[in-house]
Amino acid sequence: MSSSPDMSAAIMRSPIGVIALMRVKLQALRNRVSQAISDSPIKFLATVGLLGVVWVGLYLLFVAVFMFLKQSRMEAAIAIPMVFSFFFVAMLVMLTVSNAIIAYTSLFAVEEAMYLLSAPVPPRAYVWLKYVETLIFSSWSLVLLGLPLMFAMAEANPEAVGYYYVFFISFFICFVPIPGAAGLVLAWAIARFLDRNVRRRLIITAVLVLAVVVVWTIQSVTAQEAASEQWLTGFLLRISFVQSALLPSSWVVRGVEAAIESQTHLALCYLGVTVANAMFLSVLAVRLVSWKFMSAFDRALSSRGGERSTAASPAVGLAGKVFFYLPHGQRLIAAKDLRTFFRDPIQWTQLVVLFGLMTLYLVNVPKLSGAKPLEGWGMVIPFLNFGALSFILATFTSRFVFPLVSLEGQQLWLIGMLPLSSWQILVSKFAFAMTVSTFVAFSTTVLAVIMLKMPIAWAVLQVTVTVATCFGLCGFAVGIGARLPMFEQRNAARIANGFGGTVNLVASVMLVLTMLTGMGAVGFHNRMRGFDEALDAPTLMIAAAMIVLALGGGLTAMVVGARHLRRAEI
Amino acid sequence: MTLSIDIQSVHKHFGRKVAVHDLSLSIPPGELFAFLGPNGAGKTTTIKMICGLLHPQRGTIDVCGHRMGINGLAGKAKLAYVPDQPFLYDKLTGREFLLFVGEMYRVPTAEQKRIIDELGERLVMGDFLDKLTESYSHGMKQKVVLSAALMHDPEVLIIDEPMVGLDPRTVRVVKDLFRERVNQGRTVFMSTHTLGVAEAVADRIGILNHGRLVCLGTMSELRKQAAAQHSLEDIFLELTHPELQSDDGPGPETVPNGGTLSEGGSHVVES
Repeated sequence: MSSSPDMSAAIMRSPIGVIALMRVKLQALRNRVSQAISDSPIKFLATVGLLGVVWVGLYLLFVAVFMFLKQSRMEAAIAIPMVFSFFFVAMLVMLTVSNAIIAYTSLFAVEEAMYLLSAPVPPRAYVWLKYVETLIFSSWSLVLLGLPLMFAMAEANPEAVGYYYVFFISFFICFVPIPGAAGLVLAWAIARFLDRNVRRRLIITAVLVLAVVVVWTIQSVTAQEAASEQWLTGFLLRISFVQSALLPSSWVVRGVEAAIESQTHLALCYLGVTVANAMFLSVLAVRLVSWKFMSAFDRALSSRGGERSTAASPAVGLAGKVFFYLPHGQRLIAAKDLRTFFRDPIQWTQLVVLFGLMTLYLVNVPKLSGAKPLEGWGMVIPFLNFGALSFILATFTSRFVFPLVSLEGQQLWLIGMLPLSSWQILVSKFAFAMTVSTFVAFSTTVLAVIMLKMPIAWAVLQVTVTVATCFGLCGFAVGIGARLPMFEQRNAARIANGFGGTVNLVASVMLVLTMLTGMGAVGFHNRMRGFDEALDAPTLMIAAAMIVLALGGGLTAMVVGARHLRRAEI
Repeated sequence: MTLSIDIQSVHKHFGRKVAVHDLSLSIPPGELFAFLGPNGAGKTTTIKMICGLLHPQRGTIDVCGHRMGINGLAGKAKLAYVPDQPFLYDKLTGREFLLFVGEMYRVPTAEQKRIIDELGERLVMGDFLDKLTESYSHGMKQKVVLSAALMHDPEVLIIDEPMVGLDPRTVRVVKDLFRERVNQGRTVFMSTHTLGVAEAVADRIGILNHGRLVCLGTMSELRKQAAAQHSLEDIFLELTHPELQSDDGPGPETVPNGGTLSEGGSHVVES
């Protein structure tokens, strides 16, 4: 082996750039896709098919919403632009936050960073690579949600011509880097200026601020007892800031509106503004971050290596007590999982954010509906609440509960050596999952039934079905997690995205859809027979069938999983 | 002569915990240096500082005459780092990964293929080099990352726990590879807990404890100083005894600038 004497000089003259780094990533992506197609074509097709179903479902939903709004022209004139503005403002905020989270983990928290940065890769090339990756990872939801929304918009506006589609796709692509750049700078600033303790305090402060906002919203909403039209006018006035001309979301909304109305010049003007800002902010963000990147990287690594107090917080102390009903060995396993949950901000912050948003929605919903409980819209609201809650629970169990058994595979002592049967181990995992998910689902549902002033019998029905759904989802996640484990994988996200994770996700979505169908049937039946505070026999029978289905499904999955685990060679 | 690694009075702390305390160490070209120390002694922190991943709060580090720091690209071009947890892209084959590394270090294409063939044969990687790395065992990964580190024939090879996961035959090949590089005037800086390997192949050994260099010298110098001790294991255990020093205490006198004998019996002078 011999080395070229000019190699170092060549590196200094022309170090590796972002294009070469991207090329290797594309190679990896090509390998991933061809592996997915050749190894398990059915799984690949099922995933693509499921995405197609979700996409078409969203499209039909948005078309229905736009058509409904257009039935009343006045409301449509106000509401449709408002829906758009809200959508893009929400996207602006969500993409900034999700970009910041993903950028932080990909810039500072991976072995890849250590490897590339110990090589002669210029920080700017590395930051560009991670910026582009982050944009792609964080923005697929915009595509999934946004494209059907825009197609539905075109469907609802027959005057929209062919080039409208070119415009809205261009707007989408150009909009994404704006929150992406903000997220990148945010991630860098957190690593550069905040140490671990400050970050922790920041998270706690954010949670407290969220709580204050919830309380304020409850008060401001309950203070208004006006008629629904007045309330709507006031509400629209209060949220008119979402249409501010300074917000990038407004440029997109106005540009798309102009495209629909065939005002090409105006649409081009807004597109130009969006493109210019996206490019400028991207370059600015990458230059700023790469300028002081290595010092931020040093701080991020130093913070991780520092002394870290793991003194028991009240929440962690609680973990040892909540499973009092389990035998000693199982109690220890469940408590271990609960402690891990409390110490993993990715898990609990996701639940806090999702259920915080859910709570905000719940306290606003009675005023928006303007209907009495169980009459007209009042019947639909509990149905929507249940659907939103169930899908959030399914997300949580698929992402965080499903990998639990696989992750224990690396600690052979637990699954292979501990003097507990596979069933007992699965029950421990189930107890943990059920405790966390029931706590949030129960409290959110109780809040919902109180806010909707539902009659007691209906409230009990709603809460019971929700808890049963929790049971089914947790049973699926634990049972399928044991039946289709990935013991060799250490990354929980990859376990969740694997074949078993996909099967569990599909099963969970099927369960939620079935339960939703049951709730829909209950609503439809009661609308037909006339509303009554008491539950009649068909309602009780449908509810009983749903509960049996959820409990039976969860238990069956657990039994199958335990049987497989007992025979498995780890 | 330009030193391969020149560490001068380096200090690094994480919050209140001192990871590396006033460390000075000079390693000339053509030396195989073994860096030893108990868990948490500061070895990995020192290595990360040499590689420019962490920055010392005080002191300087030069690699082949290039200052490592915020803009340490020139120094990074001269070295290769193999961490204890080998990093590979899961969805690339070993060969694709090696070609990527070759491109990163501007190795001419024909040379890349020649080196891959040569190392593939020597480290017996032919069976798995064209499979996705996600299917590799730890030892296979270790072989590929070692090959990647050698792709650009670095002046300085920094390697953390090089023998973990390797079969005895490969361990022998790797030892020979290290020795060949040293004979060619390259430097190998090896951090390890495998005292037997250090004893067998290292030209000089440094022992770090609580962030301080408590011992530095050749194996024979170490033996001479610690007269009652005959194996590196005995010397290591004596110097890193938990009761010998703590984070807060003054600790034993450290070896200053890798060259002067300290008083205290067990500390050793550099030849």
